[in-house]
Amino acid sequence: MRWDHHHTSIGGTSLEKEHKIYETTFIVNAALDDAQIDAVIEKVKDVIVKNGGDVRSLEKWGRKRLAYTVDKKNNGFYAFFEFKGPGDLIAKLDRHYQLDEQIIRYLTIQLDKKALKAKEIAAAALLKTQAAAAPGVGDVVV
Amino acid sequence: MFHQSQNRRGGDDRREKRDSNAIRKKRTCRFCDSKEIYIDYKDEKKLYRFVTEQGKIIPKRITGSCAKHQRQLVKAIKRARHLALLPFVSDAIK
Repeated sequence: MRWDHHHTSIGGTSLEKEHKIYETTFIVNAALDDAQIDAVIEKVKDVIVKNGGDVRSLEKWGRKRLAYTVDKKNNGFYAFFEFKGPGDLIAKLDRHYQLDEQIIRYLTIQLDKKALKAKEIAAAALLKTQAAAAPGVGDVVV
Repeated sequence: MFHQSQNRRGGDDRREKRDSNAIRKKRTCRFCDSKEIYIDYKDEKKLYRFVTEQGKIIPKRITGSCAKHQRQLVKAIKRARHLALLPFVSDAIK
């Protein structure tokens, strides 16, 4: 699809480029047990790590109702990774998603400058609220 | 505000609206107001405000978003649709 294909054009001519930051969200078949779902997520993590990626965060959103039926399923388990890695990792990750039958949807995007800045601001705001909630800890940090 | 204008259809209505716009307060882009620089596709609750009951994207002439943010918004909505966070067509219509 058009909006998740822009990462194919990167790579460029310079050999050692700074690795870019990506985020990937995928939906796992919710009919599986929690242990099986964890195994599927772990496999995705393995693919990222083995291909030179560095996982920055993992979020499990849990079972959610899908807005429309996908592969005759109405529910799905959402998982989300943020990682830094080389461009060719994305193609390998895509391939893995396609081969794993328990993954019913996925989307990988490259975080642009705006997204990164927004994340920074959000993280700073979070730190501030945490400092306000626990003044003793906040004082030490500042 | 856009709830009223949502049901309007046809050129005549639109022309009337344009005339009354001179009196009405100018709409501002709510993303610019809140100084948002990135519209996240994961936040489906927020995105729901910018689609109609049918699931269509509401045009910027109705919501008042600026061109820059409308482009970002459209991208976010389309990404959310792909992940089944938002519907392409809502169930009520199907």
